[in-house]
Amino acid sequence: MALAAMAFAAPARAQDSLMRGPLARGLDLEEQSRFKEAVAAYREALHGPAVVPALLGLERAWAELGTSDSLLPLLDTIIAARPRDPTVRSVQLRTLRAVGRPAELRAAFERWVRDASGDPAPYREYVRLLLQDGRAAAADSVLLRAQRTLGSARDLASETAQLRASMGLWEPAARSWREALEAMPYMAQAATFSLAPVPPTSRDAVRETLRAPPLALGARTLLASLELLWGSPRDAWAALAPLPASDSARDAWVEFATRAEVIESWLVARDALAAAVRWRMSAALALRASTDALQGGDGASALALATAAWGVAPDQRTAREALSLRVRALAQLARPDEAEAMVRASRIPLDEPTRAAMSRAVAWGWVRRGETGRARAVLAALDASPDDDVAGWLALYDGDLASARRALRTSTESTPSLVGALSLLTRTREVRSPAIGLAYLTLARGDTARAAAAFAAAATTVRDAAPLLLATAARLFGARRDDAAAVALWRSVVTDHASAPEAPEADLEWARALVRARDPLAAVTRLEHLILTYPDSALVPQARRELDQARAALPASS
Amino acid sequence: MLAALALAAPLRAARAQQLLVPMDDAQQNHLKAYGLTFAALKAGQKGEWLLNYRGGAFLLADTPDTRRRAALEGVSIEPVDAGTTSAIRGAMGAGNMDAVVLEKAPRIAIYTPPNAPPWDDAVTLALRYAGIEYETVWDDQVMHGDLQKYDWLHLFHEDFTGQLSKFQIAYRGAPWFIEQQQRYLATANALGFRDIPALKKEVAERIRQYVERGGFLFAMCGATETVDLAIAAHGVDIAGVFSDGTPMDPDADAKLDWARSFAFRDGHLETSPFVNAMSDIDGHQVNVPGRRQPLGTFTLFAFSAKFDPVASMLVQDHRSVIPDFYGVTTSFTRATLKPGGTVLAFEEGAPWVKYVHGDYGKGSWTFLGGHDPEDAQHAVGNPPTDLSLHPNSPGYRLILNNVLFPAAKKKPLKT
Repeated sequence: MALAAMAFAAPARAQDSLMRGPLARGLDLEEQSRFKEAVAAYREALHGPAVVPALLGLERAWAELGTSDSLLPLLDTIIAARPRDPTVRSVQLRTLRAVGRPAELRAAFERWVRDASGDPAPYREYVRLLLQDGRAAAADSVLLRAQRTLGSARDLASETAQLRASMGLWEPAARSWREALEAMPYMAQAATFSLAPVPPTSRDAVRETLRAPPLALGARTLLASLELLWGSPRDAWAALAPLPASDSARDAWVEFATRAEVIESWLVARDALAAAVRWRMSAALALRASTDALQGGDGASALALATAAWGVAPDQRTAREALSLRVRALAQLARPDEAEAMVRASRIPLDEPTRAAMSRAVAWGWVRRGETGRARAVLAALDASPDDDVAGWLALYDGDLASARRALRTSTESTPSLVGALSLLTRTREVRSPAIGLAYLTLARGDTARAAAAFAAAATTVRDAAPLLLATAARLFGARRDDAAAVALWRSVVTDHASAPEAPEADLEWARALVRARDPLAAVTRLEHLILTYPDSALVPQARRELDQARAALPASS
Repeated sequence: MLAALALAAPLRAARAQQLLVPMDDAQQNHLKAYGLTFAALKAGQKGEWLLNYRGGAFLLADTPDTRRRAALEGVSIEPVDAGTTSAIRGAMGAGNMDAVVLEKAPRIAIYTPPNAPPWDDAVTLALRYAGIEYETVWDDQVMHGDLQKYDWLHLFHEDFTGQLSKFQIAYRGAPWFIEQQQRYLATANALGFRDIPALKKEVAERIRQYVERGGFLFAMCGATETVDLAIAAHGVDIAGVFSDGTPMDPDADAKLDWARSFAFRDGHLETSPFVNAMSDIDGHQVNVPGRRQPLGTFTLFAFSAKFDPVASMLVQDHRSVIPDFYGVTTSFTRATLKPGGTVLAFEEGAPWVKYVHGDYGKGSWTFLGGHDPEDAQHAVGNPPTDLSLHPNSPGYRLILNNVLFPAAKKKPLKT
């Protein structure tokens, strides 16, 4: 790495000589952990043109040998020859700190200030070392002095920001980082790490500082990074969205989308990519945005973005991908007939696996439309195996549990919905249950409320899987924020199926709903019931934690 | 032998005669075990503290309430019958172990401002997590004589010299600091004092009298050093001009009356208002550039349980070497310790100690340096430690030993 950096800096001929000289030998020896020999080579290199790289090499090698103080006399000689060289001066400060000579460190700093009048570098380096040692008060004094001497602390904004952050002065730290990022956008990561520990009570002040006009790319990017770290991807995008469109903003949006995708915040990523596409159309970005929209369950925007990409597709591969996304989006929107027509009308050559994948998507679209017969017909035309995943799901929707069990068991997928279906199919011995079929079909059609009711109803007929069906229904009601309906079912699991594996989860979820309803006393009762009744449950440690929190929320008289 | 005894007491569903609460590595939640014991005492039961036996185990009556609480809190218990108890006592008699009867839940007061500042108090955290009841007192209650209602008083990072830990150096513009300064001054004025140092000096004096009359005092962090400085400075101005409008007495050092203090003697005051230290009592000087000492580990002294039961109680732990942690006052230099005190924990080879205890009048005091045993470099503004992530913290155990210490029945010393 050091070698690469140095090579860029040296003209070709000089570079060639360096690569063969004592410096290169020193680097090789250092890489082989032969530090004593590396020291000899670097010392030899000091007599050549690459004094600074050789000095840095000596700093590293002597540090490895635990003899950093050997560098000090050498530094005095080099500094006498190059009194304003900031790298050499920095090495001197670092070395004095490493060998634990604070008084000499301070004196070296003072000499550097004197020799480089008006230069912020000595202040910057010294403050950094003080901060590394946790000496915030001393760093503060040096910064105040720099401000007085230089007339402004603008050149030291990042150090000021780090200092404020180390003192827990979050709002001033945010202000300093904002200022620093204007001149040094490459410090964005340092700023994020510095402000990430801001406690929740101080975050609004930081947000306000970074959002304050005028709108600045650095400040907004920093705020977006912080919001992502603090678990609010939607707020993160809200920080970046108002940026005036430009190449820099586009880069920031795309980079942000990548981070949002990593945390599976699909619709936020979609928004960021869509903004980039609006500024300057790119088929690749539009396809990526469309994929994110599909992952986030927004078929309409997925279709719009894929259609936009289709219109500007530069080649057949891109066009094929756009077609595939449009078909999947239409299927998600329960418009399989349009999807079928689109595939038929397409003049793009499709290989067999691609065509089959599109047909499967169309089949899903028919399922979403509620027409399982049409879906089955599509699969039949495909000559799909009865053990095919889609065939398995169709069997489940028909209530044919035996066929569904056989087909889904061999699936190579591991989606949550498949895992949930398999756990039900292995729990019950029933071979046929129209009630379960109806529940899954309703869920596939996206009608969560009716699906939850259907699962609850199925529990009355499929007795051997009743607690699981009730828990599934309760989870669906919970996802819809319908705590009243969910709690009724969780209560039924706890009271009527106390020995079922779902009972501890029911107790915990019931308690959480009670906390949300601001009834911590009742929540305490539920959590205590869980801990005492199911002491071996894996949920007990979590229940204890939530019990502490519920107790802390009790009014003083409770 | 001890391990064999432990294995000989399997869990039984039926009621045993007593419940052993192990405090060695078999314990799942050491901190809540103190809360379990406190609750049993609060319910009117008696218990025993088995010093040096399985990390300082507790022996409690086997009641449904205690079993229920142990299950809820995740505290490990081992039902033991009369035969097993007898075997335990036999083993204890043969080694450096002894049993101390715990007979009464102490009434606990924490000295803390009504609106706590933006950093936290390790003792409050420990008590809350363990489920031990406490009340809070502040200057007005102290001045009105309320301390006599309590068996145990805890002081934390309060600066009894009235200089607000000299935080004006770093935090002069911080809203919380300005608010704290104004609130403290208002309290002082309301109680008839001209400034904060005058009030705090009088509060320190009331605390001294409380201990002299039989109270138990436990102090941590900056309160250790400053309460003694304030007491020793009974008739001397040791506060900087920024805090009371008048400069420190130039002969303050020579005028300090160390005969009145709890733990320290011959300390030298830090006279500069720009140096964030009160004196040379603290060995680490964390906030003073150039003087700050690195953290090491401290070792708990192994006392004879039979001959030094008090000191033994205070050092019961499942670890004897514990990582050190900073505070406004982190440690106490040996040179400034009074000879009558007992060193409970020290750093090998260092000129300072970590944890000290002593008697004063009819009462006693215990000082532990540092701020938060599980956050070695705690800084203002850092979030409080979540103790549910540290249920086996050996450092926090030292704090909780102090809480139960006043519950012990006093028995004549054997020396």
